[in-house]
Amino acid sequence: MTEFLIRRVLQSLLVLFLISIVTFGLIHAAPGGPTQIFLSPGLSQEAGRIQAHNLGLDQPVYIQYVRWLGGMLQGDLGQTFKNNLPVSEILWPTVQNTVILMGVAWLFAMLIAIPWGIYNSTSEYGISDQTASMISYIGFAMPVFWFGIMLQELISIKWDLLPLSDMYTMGKEGDMGDLFMHLVLPVSVLTLGFLASYVKYSRTSMLEVLDQDYIRTARAKGMKERRVVFRHALRNAMIPIITILGLDLPILVAGAAITESVFNWPGMGRLFIEMAVAREYSVLMAITVITAVIVVVGNLIADILYAIVDPRVQIGRKGGVSS
Amino acid sequence: MTQQPLIDVRNLKKYFPIKTGLFNRVVGHVKAVDDVTFGIHQGETFGLVGESGCGKSTLGRAILQLQKPTSGEVLFDGRSVQQMNAKQLRHLRQDMQIIFQDPFGSLNPRFHIRDIIGEPLRVHQQVSAAEIDKRVVELMELVGLDATRRNRYPHEFSGGQRQRIGIARAIALNPRFIVADEAVSALDVSVQSQVLNLLMKLQKELGLTFLFIAHGLNVVRHISDRIGVMYLGRLVEVGRTEELFANPRHPYTAALLSAIPRPSPHRKQERIVLQGDVPSPANPPAGCRFHPRCIYAQDKCRVLSPELVTLASEHQVACHYPLEALSHSEVI
Repeated sequence: MTEFLIRRVLQSLLVLFLISIVTFGLIHAAPGGPTQIFLSPGLSQEAGRIQAHNLGLDQPVYIQYVRWLGGMLQGDLGQTFKNNLPVSEILWPTVQNTVILMGVAWLFAMLIAIPWGIYNSTSEYGISDQTASMISYIGFAMPVFWFGIMLQELISIKWDLLPLSDMYTMGKEGDMGDLFMHLVLPVSVLTLGFLASYVKYSRTSMLEVLDQDYIRTARAKGMKERRVVFRHALRNAMIPIITILGLDLPILVAGAAITESVFNWPGMGRLFIEMAVAREYSVLMAITVITAVIVVVGNLIADILYAIVDPRVQIGRKGGVSS
Repeated sequence: MTQQPLIDVRNLKKYFPIKTGLFNRVVGHVKAVDDVTFGIHQGETFGLVGESGCGKSTLGRAILQLQKPTSGEVLFDGRSVQQMNAKQLRHLRQDMQIIFQDPFGSLNPRFHIRDIIGEPLRVHQQVSAAEIDKRVVELMELVGLDATRRNRYPHEFSGGQRQRIGIARAIALNPRFIVADEAVSALDVSVQSQVLNLLMKLQKELGLTFLFIAHGLNVVRHISDRIGVMYLGRLVEVGRTEELFANPRHPYTAALLSAIPRPSPHRKQERIVLQGDVPSPANPPAGCRFHPRCIYAQDKCRVLSPELVTLASEHQVACHYPLEALSHSEVI
């Protein structure tokens, strides 16, 4: 187990290193640069060059990369070009905000979708199952920005039931009740998105298992159907469900750029879009690296969970994960 | 034998609907088991043979109510199994068990062997964990498995060992009746005979009644007291094993028997090769279902479906023109 973890961490570091090189290169290869965005148009070319020199932007890309990497390894995420603010100061609040929003939506979707999917698998094509299918199709097909705007139009503007956007009403920062009211609409949009796939996944995964020979064996033993479903089927059906949950884990932090933009939620997804427009390299890099770290950690967690639910997956015994 | 059979199957039918189109319209039925009547006596092994897809497994499962029969009746020890509610049926599972064909798919990969074998005990009997463990050890030793491996998972066992696990599971509650659904056909020939001998040993020791389903006649001959031959969802011939092998009266049985390879190269024997494929059970031929492949088919066979009639003692055939009984000198 320890050996497996060490190997995986080393592999992950390599992956992160490669990701950072690729993204750094891509960001710098994009047309236009930070100087064109934040320098006032009246500034002379000479002054612009001095500015760029001070920020290190006149150096070759690889020198810039090494500098950035050096800072990163010392825990320094860098400063913004514009107001020379530390990146960490901008980033951490948005990470928290995103985790609040996405976490609530994700938990909500999971708590509804998995039991619902399991139930639907036991009554295939029943009313409940058909309803779930319908909702999934809607969830998959409807663009989130459109659904978000429609909710705002109806619930906030027409009926004035819930706040239109933002995380808190001005002057009520930190008020839990106010936060809750602001959460309802964006969480509804995001939950539908998660729910659409989770309910289908858990249903299909369960159906596949319920069709297995060993389920017939379990029935032949004369067990109650409930025990067959929960003791025998569910444990086998959990693997694909865990996979999809694990794959979605990074989104919890990376955020949903579109939903956050529609509801003006001060999260990381919205920040990324703003910073991409402003060419704030250090913020973009920080977001990319953080997301990459979470993807890697999420996969690691999923692998460990496999081993817990599936005895055939042995971690570390014969080198890595084998099945 | 005039006593009441332990298992009494009467006019059992199992049809699977064929659905098609937008609204799942039922356009027909696959008649997997079509009007089958037979009985199995206490302590007897009844062999059921037939080609793939002839409905043997479905019949076995329908008897155990693992698949609900479309119509007909199954009596277990005189009690109608159909009329039982879910609870009574679960209770009856203690008395009738099944050994499945596939030793790989039929064991839950997430369960320890001790749980696979011990679960029926936990579900049906009020016994302590220690007693269950003791019984699991007993059962594993009975079927020739190393009981110290009871905390392992199915994938750590070979095919033959897994089949033994399936057998230990099936006999855990001391059932009276066991359906062995192609219990050995997934195994190597060498392991096959081991498992067959194990089943025969268990039958002697525990007084079991078997319905032994197989597609090969030689395996069935080894173990069965009586044999039923199935073709396209129907029983075409039923008889005592020696009698059936010596005197097949149905042309289909005769064809099956002639397909068994003989170990002697000198003995020339006529091989009856059946022409054509098995017709679809969704659209079986009119009259006798075997007539399109039967070399003796007459006009009557194309129109009228033969009933299973008793020709000699305990020998029943569903054929309008049964083969002549051979004189004993010709017996193989």
